[in-house]
Amino acid sequence: MASRNGTETAVRRGQTEKGDNSDSDSTSSSYSSSDYSDDLEPEWLDDIQKNGELFYLELSEGEEEAALAQATANQGVSTNHVRFSEKEAEIITEQNKKQRCGSRTKGEPTLKRLARILRRKRRPSQRRGGGKDGGKDSSSLSSPPASILKNQAGQRQGVMVQQQQLKEVCVYLNPKRLGGSSTPLSDRGGLLEALLGVVHRPGWSRGQGDPAAGRREERLTVHGLVPNSPAIKCGQILIGDVLVAVDDVDVTSENIERVLSCIPGPTQVRLTLETVGPVEGVSGGDSPSIHRLKASPPVSQLVRLLWGEDTAELQMSIGHIPHIVMYLSLKLDSASPQEEQEILYQYPVSEASGQLKGVRGIFLTLCDMLENVTGGRIISSSLLLGKHLVHVGYWKESNNLLVIGLPAERVPLLYLQTVVGGVVRTLKVMYGSLDSAFCKADHAPRLDHFFCLFFQQLIQPSRLTDSSSAPPPDISGTLFLDGLPAVRWLTLPPEIKMEVDTVLSDFESSDFGEMSEDFFGLRRLYVTLGSCLFYKSYLIANHLPKEDLLDVCLYCQHYCLLPLASDQRVGQLVIWREVFPQHRAQQRGHSGSSAPGYSQPHGRHFLLIVGLRHFMQCVLLEAGGCASPALGSPGPDCVYVDQVKATLLQLEVLEAGIEERLNAPPAPCLSCADWFLPAATARDRLDSLASSSPVLSKLAGAVKGSSAGSRGRSLFGEKARRSSPQRSLSDSGSEGQADGGSGSGSSMAPGLSPHSTPDSARKLGGRRDSLGSGGSDGSGGSGGLFKIPRMKHPNPFYLGTLKKILTERETEEMYNTMKLTSGAENTLFHYVMMETVQGIFIAPTHREVAQLSGSIHPQLIRNFHHCCLSIRAAFQQSLPPRGRRGADRSQSSRGLGPVKEHGVLFQCKPENWTDQRKPAPTMTYWVIGRMLLEPVPQEFYVCFHDSVAEVPVEMAFRLSFGLAL
Amino acid sequence: MMLQDGSTQLLCLTASSGVPLFTRGASKQLPFSVIGSLNGVHMFGGGQRVLLSSCETERGGKVVWRVFQDSVMLIAVNGGHQAGGGGGSSKEEELHLRRLLENVWNCMVLVLGQDELASARNVERLKRDLRSCFGLIDQLLEERQEGIMGNLTHCADCLLPPNPAALQEAVEGFTQAADSEFGCLMVHGRIAAATEKWWRLAPQEVVLLSALMRSLSASGSSSCDYPVFLPQGSPTVAHRLLRFQLLPGADVCVLCGPTPSLRRAESGLVGRFWSPMVETLRGCLAVGERCLPGSVSLRPDVLALLLINRETRRSVSCVRSSTHPQPSDPALPSKTRCWELLKLFYIFSTTRYFSQEETLCVSPEEKPQRGNTEDFALGFSHQPLQCYLVGEECKCFGLQTPQHQLFLLTPLSVPTFALRTVATQTLSAITGNTGF
Repeated sequence: MASRNGTETAVRRGQTEKGDNSDSDSTSSSYSSSDYSDDLEPEWLDDIQKNGELFYLELSEGEEEAALAQATANQGVSTNHVRFSEKEAEIITEQNKKQRCGSRTKGEPTLKRLARILRRKRRPSQRRGGGKDGGKDSSSLSSPPASILKNQAGQRQGVMVQQQQLKEVCVYLNPKRLGGSSTPLSDRGGLLEALLGVVHRPGWSRGQGDPAAGRREERLTVHGLVPNSPAIKCGQILIGDVLVAVDDVDVTSENIERVLSCIPGPTQVRLTLETVGPVEGVSGGDSPSIHRLKASPPVSQLVRLLWGEDTAELQMSIGHIPHIVMYLSLKLDSASPQEEQEILYQYPVSEASGQLKGVRGIFLTLCDMLENVTGGRIISSSLLLGKHLVHVGYWKESNNLLVIGLPAERVPLLYLQTVVGGVVRTLKVMYGSLDSAFCKADHAPRLDHFFCLFFQQLIQPSRLTDSSSAPPPDISGTLFLDGLPAVRWLTLPPEIKMEVDTVLSDFESSDFGEMSEDFFGLRRLYVTLGSCLFYKSYLIANHLPKEDLLDVCLYCQHYCLLPLASDQRVGQLVIWREVFPQHRAQQRGHSGSSAPGYSQPHGRHFLLIVGLRHFMQCVLLEAGGCASPALGSPGPDCVYVDQVKATLLQLEVLEAGIEERLNAPPAPCLSCADWFLPAATARDRLDSLASSSPVLSKLAGAVKGSSAGSRGRSLFGEKARRSSPQRSLSDSGSEGQADGGSGSGSSMAPGLSPHSTPDSARKLGGRRDSLGSGGSDGSGGSGGLFKIPRMKHPNPFYLGTLKKILTERETEEMYNTMKLTSGAENTLFHYVMMETVQGIFIAPTHREVAQLSGSIHPQLIRNFHHCCLSIRAAFQQSLPPRGRRGADRSQSSRGLGPVKEHGVLFQCKPENWTDQRKPAPTMTYWVIGRMLLEPVPQEFYVCFHDSVAEVPVEMAFRLSFGLAL
Repeated sequence: MMLQDGSTQLLCLTASSGVPLFTRGASKQLPFSVIGSLNGVHMFGGGQRVLLSSCETERGGKVVWRVFQDSVMLIAVNGGHQAGGGGGSSKEEELHLRRLLENVWNCMVLVLGQDELASARNVERLKRDLRSCFGLIDQLLEERQEGIMGNLTHCADCLLPPNPAALQEAVEGFTQAADSEFGCLMVHGRIAAATEKWWRLAPQEVVLLSALMRSLSASGSSSCDYPVFLPQGSPTVAHRLLRFQLLPGADVCVLCGPTPSLRRAESGLVGRFWSPMVETLRGCLAVGERCLPGSVSLRPDVLALLLINRETRRSVSCVRSSTHPQPSDPALPSKTRCWELLKLFYIFSTTRYFSQEETLCVSPEEKPQRGNTEDFALGFSHQPLQCYLVGEECKCFGLQTPQHQLFLLTPLSVPTFALRTVATQTLSAITGNTGF
């Protein structure tokens, strides 16, 4: 635990304590001040750091069970979950012995207490990383642990061809299952047989028995295994093995039943077995021959990393990949020369990064020189270290330079600047400025943790997720989606959305109990600036201004809080820290200029994040301003935390509704790429043939299409649709959709008709418009049509409009879903739609994507994201640089100029096509990105099958713009 | 800020000692301290086994380093654009600069031979000798002649004559008579016909010889005899390049050994083979910058096109001069701008999506150096076939087939969904008509 870092530490505790507390939370949603007795104080209170920050994370009971079940599913893989969690429990107990341990244990049933003692005995050995030097305190139950010592003694004596080896096996035991079974425990096997499934017949093992052991304490040789028992399922326990210890408690035939009976509930235990195996190249007698299988911990690496565990091991595993972060000083202080004094901060310390550190002179020189030569600050350079290409990103602030080196295969140069910008902004949100982040010595451990997370996410994201279930993470997808200045949004049915918003508004009004100023006649501590609510990594409600939302979201992204809430059930998460919202700081920088008479209050801001199960609420609080100024570094206030918790508990009622939404069929219905590929149907084969030689095949249709283009424009739509015989099939499908949209919109449920009619009108308008202005470049005419509906909502920050429109979209999508069932062909594979003003984006949910499982489809999505990186980089060109660096914006005609729309056509073939006679079938699809600066900045990325006619594509763009505004 | 907007400066130093050999480009030379530092950081990195390859600054400024044959260090510095426009185009700039460095090195080898450059015993003499390359290097830097894409694509710029068979026959007859296998006819600086062996030269050499021919014919002499080393084929043994002007704008050349003499070839061979062809040559010259014979009819909505044959490494490119500008059309980009856009779009597509297979003809020792620009295209799990861009000046469309790459620009008035048909039609019109 020496590596445990300073503040951002997180602790969990045993299940029992947690259960107590969540009970009390739910019953009393808001404490009155008199409730603060010792036994009711929140469990996170002890984790608050000296500077007031708190990062408290605890998994829920259900999650642990799931993890355990999973561990047993991965048969025979040794895990250290139980030890790990108990260790944490012990640490807490140690810290708070007086407050807690004494009083708490009283009420517990004896079994639990026994288990507790068991656990406590185990701790010291775990803390030494499994070293078994027997440094345990004396206790009635603990005999010296199963140790290597014992074995080594044997080795020294004997000249043995075969060697006794210890192996560890983890099995999942559930004593509760025994209750149902009718087999009496008093049977010969007892718990050993019933619970574990190991058959031991006393008296069989004369020959092998340890001569030192008496008859009564016979060694537990495995004589047989019970079918379907945990022992046989794990596949690691062999007949002839000797069970030496259970969870590091030595067992013999004497005490095994007692030990097993102490297992209170479903849990994972670690068995130590002595097995006979051939010597595997062990020459020296003193090398410990214990077999430790590579552990795949059931508690995901991510959680452990967040807890501040394991950083060393994870960092080691990427030590050979060059990556570094350095904060360098450009000032020379020759008065007091010290070694490496220009390095203000550096992480990590490894061989490969050492090489990069060695050439820091290059970075400093280039940074200084190139600004003079080219008139612009340096952004990046590319270096070749052996075989690794490394991109180095720079960020200069005052007299210091932040340098981040990343391997090129992880972060393409196109996107490096976005990544660096994200890190810088996150650090500024957390610490105010880079200087204050890096220049304080006591920040170093926290920064180490910060950058460990940063590099792990970029370089080996697979280690952070649960390896078994999740598909291999999509690095381009992560880069792309995290790089968007937006948060993933989940559209909700209107009634749920309204309830969520109401609950949040109630909370934000701060009109409750002692938070209202009338209560004590004091100034309130904090003003709630706003809050946002996540459910399983989707934003479902936001009452924060966009820039604040992005700041909060950057923090959450960086600490992986969003995937955490979606994959694992968070028992309880409480985070409190001071933050420095960026746009507030900037406004303060030139205050008074914008609105005379009003200036941003010079308050301090605090971020409170509370997570319960799948919900997570982020609240931005302000002290100073109209609330009382904050002094020193205040910790989280229980009242506020409990209010958020109460809000979340209140929201839990809605979980079913939200889940229903998540389980609903994909809203704009999606197709799986694999459906288009197999050459089963004649249509597909035709298609693939056509796409394989695009030169010749599309000509026939093309001639007609283009000739229609030169004719009268009003007729054009009809002509284009009817003319191309090749496309007729798919055309009619999409056409039917559009026509049906206008036709049957009114025949829908009556409540929907007011929405659907303008929609259909808009659709038609959109189409006509797109034709009139000659395709996608038209911007003049189209604006007018869309401006009219928008006039109703003059304030783009008002999220109510978003809500309303999203509901429109929802009805539209419901309608689409119905279409799919009627058999029309749907060619949409994937989409991402970003709304820059509100800072949100919409994409198919993880579950929707998972439902479309196939072999090609995940590839396609990876490809889509990779392509989006490039498309978005092309768009970025046309946007003015984001405020910060030299913001002189003038239209230049250099380069390719601003890009509005960019599309790429891809071809894919099934892997492992073995049929020699036929060429592999192919499928072609477009990935298209479209950016709209007017009327509001939006970006839209779609991926669809090639067979879709282009005019409907245009409509798809316009439709979505019309809907999501 | 020491460099002007968008200007490029080329620095050449000896790799071992850091002695500056020459600088070209940009009206104002960078101060020596800057040149020294630029070289110094690269050398320092080399000592630490870190190879610095490129650097990027805001607004598209770019520096690219490369050491050739462990003897010559070339550095290209691009000033970027003060006018803004973001840093997005610098990725494009990088390929441009990399090609420039390669071309400059090859050009130095072409003129001086590899031995003299690699050994560099006498730096002062080398400096003097290098002056003879300046004309060619300046041409590469400034890209004086519009519409030459070969320096960038490493595919020879071609002109498709109306009756290729007759010209081919004449070139082959002439080359044979001059005791050579390498002969080529150039019209308007583009190859109109060449012997089979000429096409077997490395694409970079063909491109470089074309550049040399252009600069020689620009000098106005009617014939010349120029010693050349072939950077890939014979970097140490010089050949003779005999060039004769047939008509203004039409030149023929052969690569040969010691015989025949320039005089004998000029008096005996040129008249014999080429005087019957004068009318054909005039027809060829009439094709002009369009590069395509009249039999190929292009759709009216193609502003500019670049067609590359990936197998033969040849390219045809042209920009339509707007014959009758319609008042309805919002200002179409100028011709110069069209060429620029075409180049930029070529770089954009090839760096991101399409493969550039010219790596085939790179010597193995240089491969790691070239491979050090990360290949974004390798990150795709599926193969990109086509791409398009809609900008503010025009629309761009690129497509790739196993044999061809086509890049074209169209006015904004062409609907996006029609781009693909325009492109496929154009491709089949050209390939069907000329067999390109």
